[in-house]
Amino acid sequence: MPMKKFINRPENIVPELLEGLALAFPDKVRLTGSNLIVRAVPKTKDKVALVTLGGSGHEPGLSGFVGEGMVDVSVAGEIFAAPGAPRVLEAIKLVHGDAGVLLVVLNHAGDLLCANITMEMAQREGLNVKMILVHEDISSGSKNNPEERRGLVGILPVYKVAGAAAEQGSSLQRCLQIAERMERNVRTLAVAVNTATHPSTGHAIFELGDDEMEIGMGQHGEAGMGRMKLKSADDTVDIMLPMLLEDLEVKEGEELLVVINGAGATTLMELLILLRRVSQILKAKGIKLARGKVGEFITTQEQAGVQLMIARLDAEFIDLWDAPCDTPAIVVR
Amino acid sequence: MTGTIGQHELSQMFQSAAARIRERHAVLSELDSASGDGDHGATMLRIADQLGDGAVRPGESAEPKAILHDAGWRILSVDGGASSSLYGTFFLGMADAPECARPLDCPAMAAAFEAGLAGLSKQTKARPGDKTLMDALVPAIASLRAAADTGKSVGEAMHDAAEAARAGAESTIALTARFGRAKFLGEKTRGHQDPGALSMALLFEGFSIALTNKKETQ
Repeated sequence: MPMKKFINRPENIVPELLEGLALAFPDKVRLTGSNLIVRAVPKTKDKVALVTLGGSGHEPGLSGFVGEGMVDVSVAGEIFAAPGAPRVLEAIKLVHGDAGVLLVVLNHAGDLLCANITMEMAQREGLNVKMILVHEDISSGSKNNPEERRGLVGILPVYKVAGAAAEQGSSLQRCLQIAERMERNVRTLAVAVNTATHPSTGHAIFELGDDEMEIGMGQHGEAGMGRMKLKSADDTVDIMLPMLLEDLEVKEGEELLVVINGAGATTLMELLILLRRVSQILKAKGIKLARGKVGEFITTQEQAGVQLMIARLDAEFIDLWDAPCDTPAIVVR
Repeated sequence: MTGTIGQHELSQMFQSAAARIRERHAVLSELDSASGDGDHGATMLRIADQLGDGAVRPGESAEPKAILHDAGWRILSVDGGASSSLYGTFFLGMADAPECARPLDCPAMAAAFEAGLAGLSKQTKARPGDKTLMDALVPAIASLRAAADTGKSVGEAMHDAAEAARAGAESTIALTARFGRAKFLGEKTRGHQDPGALSMALLFEGFSIALTNKKETQ
C-alpha cells in the first residue's frame, strides 16, 4: 500500500518541515544556519542558553519547544536519527554568551553519542557547556539501571524549569542543578495501540495485532514490557499509573505534574478521558494533581498511543513551571 | 599492489568503499527493518557520499592525516544517528595516530586502524558479541595487525581484514542485540545479520578491492 502522507522527496522532509515551522510561528522562531531553529528574539548574552538535539519526525518536538522561557536553539536531525555533532557545536557557538550553555539530551543511542562528541569538541574549544541527559522511561531499564532508560516526554518539564531558571538569570551551575533535580523526579510510561509509517522508508515501524496494545513501547517502536489485549481507558491507566507512582515512590500528600502526551493519532478526546482516570486514582491515594497537561508534544507520526508522565513538584518547581514561556508547542502567560 | 598508502591510495579506498556501500544499501535497509527503523541503508548512502567526496582534495598535502581528518569530520556532520557518529569518530581516531603524518606501510596502517578503534571504544561500550559493527571491525583490525606482524603487504593485509570483517558480520546472525535501538527487541534480533556489522564489512571489502584491484566475491 502506498504511504498516505503529504510529503515531497523523502530527503527534503526535514528542511521543509522546519521552513514550515518558522513560517507558522514567525513571532516565536526562525530557521537559520544548517537547519537550526532559534528564538525569533534572542535572549541577552548574560543569560544561560539551552540547546537541544534529536531526530525529526516527532513534531512538535523538539524544535517546537524553542522560544522565550524554554529552549534557545534546537538541532534537528534526520527522521528518527540524531544530527551530526558539528552542527550541534555550531548551535552552541550561535547562542553561547557569558553565562554558558546547557545541552539538554534525550537518552537514545545516537543522541547520546552525538552529545558526547559535541561535549568533547566544546571543551576543546574552551566553551562553557554542561549537559543534562533525560532518561525517565521506566519500561526500558530497571531502577538500578537508569542509564538503560530512554528519554521520552519527560524532557518537557526539564526544558521548562531549566529554561525558566535561565530566563530569570540563574547561573549555568544552578540551571544544571534544577534540570538534574527535575530529571530525577520525573517518570514516564508509554503505551501503543497502532503503528506508524516511517516517512522516509514508507514502512510500518512495528507490527501490532488489531486487538493488541503494548505497554512500554518506545518512540520508535522499540519493544516494551509486553503485549496484551486492548483495554479501556480506565483499565489502561489502572495498569500504568501505579507502576509510575511506585517507581517514583510518590507518597500521600505529595504534589504531581501529570502530562498525557498523544503519540500522533490518539485524539484529544481520549487524552482527556485518560486524565480523568489519573485524577480519580490520585485523589483516592491522597496525591494532589497540582498541574496537568494534555496534548501532542512528542509524537511518532500517526502512531496511536500515549506517553503518561508524572513529575514530583515542590514550590520551586511550581514557580518555574508557571513562569511565562512562549513557544510553538507551549505557551504560559 | 602498492607498498604504502598515501593520498592516492586512500582516495581509491574511500571511493571503492563508497561504491560497495551504494551497491548494497538496499540490503542494509532490509536488515535494519528487522531490528530497527529500516533507514540504515539511507544513512550509509549519505555517509558514502561524504566518504567519496572527502577522498578528493586536489592541491592539498598528501599526508594521510589530513585526508582521514577531513573524511571523519565530513561523516560526523551527516545527520545519521549513531552511524555517522561512530564512523566519523573512527576516521578522526585514525587521523590522530602519529603514523598518519606520512604514507603508511603495513605496520603503520595497522597502527592507524588500531588508533581508530581506540577512538571509537571511548565513545561506545559495545564490544564483540554485542551484535554491532564491532563484530566486524575488531576481527578486521586484528587481522591487519597479524598480517603486518608476519610481513604481508598492505594489499594482502587488507584482503585478510575484509575476510575477517565479513566473517565477523556473518557471526552476528546468531547473536542477540545488546546495543542501540535493536537491544529493545532482544531475542527477536537473533537470526538476522546486524546491518551495522554488514556496513562495516562492506567498508573493508571496498578498501580491499581498491588495494588489490581485484573484485571480491559477494
